[in-house]
Amino acid sequence: MSAPPYSYSYIFKYIIIGDMGVGKSCLLHQFTEKKFMSDCPHTIGVEFGTRIIEVCGQQIKLQIWDTAGQERFRAVTRSYYRGAAGALMVYDTTRRSTYNHLSSWLTDTRNLTNSSTVIFLIGNKSDLKDQRDVAYEEAKQFADENGLMFVEASAKTGDNVEEAFVETAKKIFQRIQDGRLDLNATESGVQHKPSQPGRTTLTDQSPKNTCTC
Amino acid sequence: MRVINTRFNLKYDNVDEYGFMRPENFDYERYEKFMSSYLVILVNRSKKWDKLMKKGKRLQRGLVLKRYVKKGIPSSYRAQVWMKISGANELQIHQESDLYNTRLNSVLDSDVVQAIRTDLPRTFPDNIYFIPLEGSQEQLYRILFAYAADNKNVGYCQGLNYIAGLLLLVTKDEEISFWLLKVLVDNILPDYYSRKMTGLMIDIEVFARLTKSKMPDLYRHVKSLNIPWSLLIMKWFVCLYAEVFPTETVLRIWDCLFYEHSPILFKVGITLINYFRKTLLGCDNFTSFIEVFKKMPLDIFVLDCHYFMKRVNSENKSITNALLQKLRKEIKSEKKNYELNQLP
Repeated sequence: MSAPPYSYSYIFKYIIIGDMGVGKSCLLHQFTEKKFMSDCPHTIGVEFGTRIIEVCGQQIKLQIWDTAGQERFRAVTRSYYRGAAGALMVYDTTRRSTYNHLSSWLTDTRNLTNSSTVIFLIGNKSDLKDQRDVAYEEAKQFADENGLMFVEASAKTGDNVEEAFVETAKKIFQRIQDGRLDLNATESGVQHKPSQPGRTTLTDQSPKNTCTC
Repeated sequence: MRVINTRFNLKYDNVDEYGFMRPENFDYERYEKFMSSYLVILVNRSKKWDKLMKKGKRLQRGLVLKRYVKKGIPSSYRAQVWMKISGANELQIHQESDLYNTRLNSVLDSDVVQAIRTDLPRTFPDNIYFIPLEGSQEQLYRILFAYAADNKNVGYCQGLNYIAGLLLLVTKDEEISFWLLKVLVDNILPDYYSRKMTGLMIDIEVFARLTKSKMPDLYRHVKSLNIPWSLLIMKWFVCLYAEVFPTETVLRIWDCLFYEHSPILFKVGITLINYFRKTLLGCDNFTSFIEVFKKMPLDIFVLDCHYFMKRVNSENKSITNALLQKLRKEIKSEKKNYELNQLP
């Protein structure tokens, strides 16, 4: 984790949202530490994690804000959506109520982020097959209707966790490349390093070969 | 149940006196060094408290009691003294005699029950008394249930599980824990845990303003890194430093909290940040600042609770209830026509 400064070319801000107990912090822990934490302490307010990944030959530092799920904390966590390039919206495949609340999480996300924010839907606890309460097809349809990326994942086994975080980053990177995400916009959620100080436009530093991943 | 730590051949085992497993990388040598001097202080304080308690005085508020509380209440007296100095005893006397059991028999919204149940297994999983079937989990459930039924405006707020859980570990009594939780949430902390958490957000802003006046350079630095104060200190205030600081330090803070109310929460945070001020000023980006900030509570400076509390109480005399009230009022009126959600 202690990478030397600017060993990466971009910082992407993510937020993780969803009802309490769906496994947001466990997903983050699995992604940053590659370990499952049973009885992961619940998040009060917001916690914070980072990891550097490689996407299309670029080192990207993910700055991940993990939020508390309880309704009343939303008054505070809403202020963290601003400037997120990626939003991971999590429900628990074994608890329908957490799925039913997705539309309200989605409304918040749409209202509080910008149009270029990538939203990725994660159905967590896919390992608990016999406790399934939400069908894959149903969630997939919800995702398609709302233009979200979607996987079922398991913070316990690690299944699809890496994919969710990395695919989100790829999509963000794509949007930078095709110009949908303006790096100079103050709340794009993306910072371009290493030509400090100040931001540069992508054309100054864009990788020569176009990413095909 | 307890395993003596043979790896280091020291006199401290790998479970502390409140049942918390010490972390794997726990520095026993450093701890032993601290404890050898702290034990002398504890014995000394214990004798003084014995005398004070024997006098049968009703622990009258005043300079003597204040000084005694600041120097730490012995663990054997904590339940009793906390009940008295916090006003929980008074509260209990003026209520129906069996409020706790009445509340336990009430009906609660299933969402609230579900929320409490969700948090039970993740309350102190590193504590031997909170291992499922050890009994404390069910006791904690009842305390939280009873409180939620008693104050429906608050119901259950995440974070109360840590507070009630630690109260239970210290008092070893469900009903006393309920009353202490009640006095904290109803009387001591202004509107922290209600559905809008307005009081909490105002206090976070108050904290930011106090930092601005005491450490303007640090305040500017935090601002330049675009770090919201709530990201830094919300957990401190919601959990009253439980689940953040070492247990003994938290209890020393709570000694003062039950006596003098809110000021101690601010004094503690300001003292800690001030101690690390230069290191924090040296962090030139968002991530490194937060990493250093998160590690501060684990420093020996905080573990050495007696010295820490001495610093806390001597450095911040200007932070009083009156000052806090003034700042809260200012913020409320400034934000009156402004969405409180924007705080801070």
